Amino acid sequence: MNRFRTRITATLALTTTTALLLTACGAADSASSSGGTRKVAVLAASSQNGYNQAVYKGVQQAAAASGKKITLKLLDGQFDSNTQLSQLQNVTSTGDYDGVVVVPNDGVGLAAAFPLSKKIPVATVLNPIGPDINKMEPQVDGVVTTVGVPPAAAAQKQAEGVVTYCARINPCKVVLLVGNLSTPLDVARRNAYKKVLGAHSNIEVVSTVEGQYDRDTSLKAISNVLQAHKDINVILSNADQEAAGAQIALQNAGIKPSSVYLTGAGGTKDAVAAVRSGAWKAAYINFPLSMGKAAMEQLIKAMDGGTPKAVVDSDGIGGVEPYATKETLARTPDFTGEWNG
Amino acid sequence: MTATETAPEAGAGVAVHGGTPIGPRVIAFARDYAALILLAAIFVTLSIISSSFLSFTNVMNILNQSTPLAIIAVAGTFVIVSGAFDLSTAAMYAVVSVVAASIATSTGSTWTALLAAPVLGLVMGALNGLAVTRLNVHSFLATLASSLVYKAVAVLVTGGSLITVTTSGFSDLGRGQVAGIFYSVLILLVVFALASLLLNGTVFGRHVFAVGGNSDAAHLSGVRVDRVKVTVFALSGLAVGIAGAIGVSRLASGQPQAGSGLELQAIAAIILGGTSIYGGIGAVWRSLVGVYLIALIGNGFDILNVNPQMKDLVTGVIILAAVALAAADRRRL
Repeated sequence: MNRFRTRITATLALTTTTALLLTACGAADSASSSGGTRKVAVLAASSQNGYNQAVYKGVQQAAAASGKKITLKLLDGQFDSNTQLSQLQNVTSTGDYDGVVVVPNDGVGLAAAFPLSKKIPVATVLNPIGPDINKMEPQVDGVVTTVGVPPAAAAQKQAEGVVTYCARINPCKVVLLVGNLSTPLDVARRNAYKKVLGAHSNIEVVSTVEGQYDRDTSLKAISNVLQAHKDINVILSNADQEAAGAQIALQNAGIKPSSVYLTGAGGTKDAVAAVRSGAWKAAYINFPLSMGKAAMEQLIKAMDGGTPKAVVDSDGIGGVEPYATKETLARTPDFTGEWNG
Repeated sequence: MTATETAPEAGAGVAVHGGTPIGPRVIAFARDYAALILLAAIFVTLSIISSSFLSFTNVMNILNQSTPLAIIAVAGTFVIVSGAFDLSTAAMYAVVSVVAASIATSTGSTWTALLAAPVLGLVMGALNGLAVTRLNVHSFLATLASSLVYKAVAVLVTGGSLITVTTSGFSDLGRGQVAGIFYSVLILLVVFALASLLLNGTVFGRHVFAVGGNSDAAHLSGVRVDRVKVTVFALSGLAVGIAGAIGVSRLASGQPQAGSGLELQAIAAIILGGTSIYGGIGAVWRSLVGVYLIALIGNGFDILNVNPQMKDLVTGVIILAAVALAAADRRRL
C-alpha cells in the first residue's frame, strides 16, 4: 500500500512539475499579436541544429533591426518532413500569424501545404518549395522569396574545384562522401558531382559512400574506403561534418589530410579554420545567419505590402567568396564562419 | 549457450552419432548459431572477393569503429535478458558526449572530462531503473520518455551547437594505439570479459535470467526483482558512459546529435546475435556477434564500392534471415 502511495505521489509530483514548466514556457512564448505587433512563425528543419539556430539568429536580428513590433515563434521540424508539413499547415490555418520563415526539410513535400488556408507570405531558406529542387524562383503561390542557390549548381562548382586540382594527376582517385542518398537533394548533388567528374578521363571515382551529415558515420565510411584505396587523391563531400570525420580517418590511417584534396560544404567555423590552416584544400561556405536575416527582411517587405525579391542569391550575401580556399580566405582574415555543427 | 537456452531437438536422421541423428543436430546447431555462421560466411566471402579485406589493419579498423556500439550492446544484453528495453542509450550517449566536451573545454582537464562520462552515464541509467521500478512503468515507455528528457539536456548544455575540444591529450583514448591495437578495443575486451563473468558466473547474473524468464516466479523465489532491474539499467548507463567517452575522444567534439540511432542499432545487434527479445535467454558474446555482423556488412559495402543505397536493404534482409532462422527453432517447440 505504501509502495502504491509512493508511486502515486511520484507520478503526481512529476505531472505537476511538467505542467508548471509548460505554463512557464508558454507564458514566455505567447506574445500577443495585438496592437500592431506582427507575429512570424519560424519553421526550423530542426531547432537543435547549429545551422538552423544561425538562421533563427539572423531572423531575430532582422526583426530587431526593422524597428517594428515583431514577435517570433520557433517551431522544431525535428528533421522530419511530415512534422514540418503539419506545422506549416497549422500556422497558416489559424490566422494567428502574419508570415512564415521556413528552412524546409523537404521542399518538394512541403508544397502540399499550398495553397495556404490563410494567404500569408512565406520566405524559404536554403531550399525552394516546389517540385523542382533546383529552381529558386517561387514555384507555388504563397512563397514570396527563396534565399539560396540551386544545389546542383553548388555541387557542380565544388566538383569543378576537384577537376582543377586533378588536372595534373592521372589517375586522380576521388571518393564521394555524400549525405544521404535517400533524399532527392543529395541524389541531385551526387549526380552533379558525377556529371562534372565523369567528363574527365583522368578522374576515377573509386568509391561513393554516405556520411549522413555525421562525423562518426563519415569517419567509419572513409576508414573503410581507405582499406581498399590508400592512394586516394580527393575526398569530395557536401557537408563539413562529414569532411571533419574524413579528416580523422585520414589521420588514423597515417595520411596527412593536407596531402589530399579534402573539401566539404556548409561553412562551419571548424571548416573555415581547417581551410585556413591548409588541412582542407577548400570548403563551400554557407552563410545561415545572413540567410536568415535576408529572408526576414524580404518577409517584412511582403508583410508591409511591398514587393520582395523573389530570389536572394545566398552565395553573395556573406561578404566572403563562398568557394573558399586558403588564398580567398586570406582576403577576409576576420571571417570565422557563421555557425558550427 | 546459457543454461536457459533450449537443447537441440532429437529427430529422424540418416546417420546417428552418440545416440542423436546428425541431420537434426546440424540443423539445430545452425539455428542456434545462425548469426555466428552468417558472420563467418560473410567474413570468408569478403576475404575471397576483396584483396583489401583480410588484413590486420582492416580487422582492427572494424573492431575499433564498432567499439562504442559493442560496449553498449554488451551491457544492453543484461537489460534485454532481464526482460526490459533501454531506448535511452542514444540520448544518454549525447548527454555524456556534450558534458565531457564541455568539461574539457572549460577546465582543460582531459581525465576529469572523460571520467565524468561513465559517472554521469551510471547516474542516468540508475534513474531509468528507478523510473521503471518506482513508477511501475514499462521500460519501453519509461526509457522512451527519459530519452526525450536526456536529449533535451544535451541540447540545453550545448545550445544545439558543436563543442570542439582542443585540449591536449583528449583524443588519445579514442585514437591511441598500443602495438597497432586501439585502446578502445582493449577497453571493449575488458568490458566483455567482466560482463560475461557477471552474467554467467555470479548470483546476480542468475537473477537477471530469472527476472527475465519470469519476474513473478523470481520474486516468489526471493529475488529482489526491483534491485536487479535498477542494476541492469545502471550497468547500461555505465556502458553508455564508457562508450560516450571513447566516442567524444575519437571525434574531439561533442554535439547533441551524437549517437543518433545507437539505441536501435544496439537492440538490433543484441537480438540478431540470438538473445531473446522476450527475456530470460541470451549471452554477451552473442551481442558482439550481432554488432560485428552489421559492421562487416558496412565494411564490405565500403571497400567493394557497392551502391550505398543497397546497404540498408542487404542489412535488413540479413537481419531478417538470422532472426527468422533462430525463431524457427522456437516455433517448433
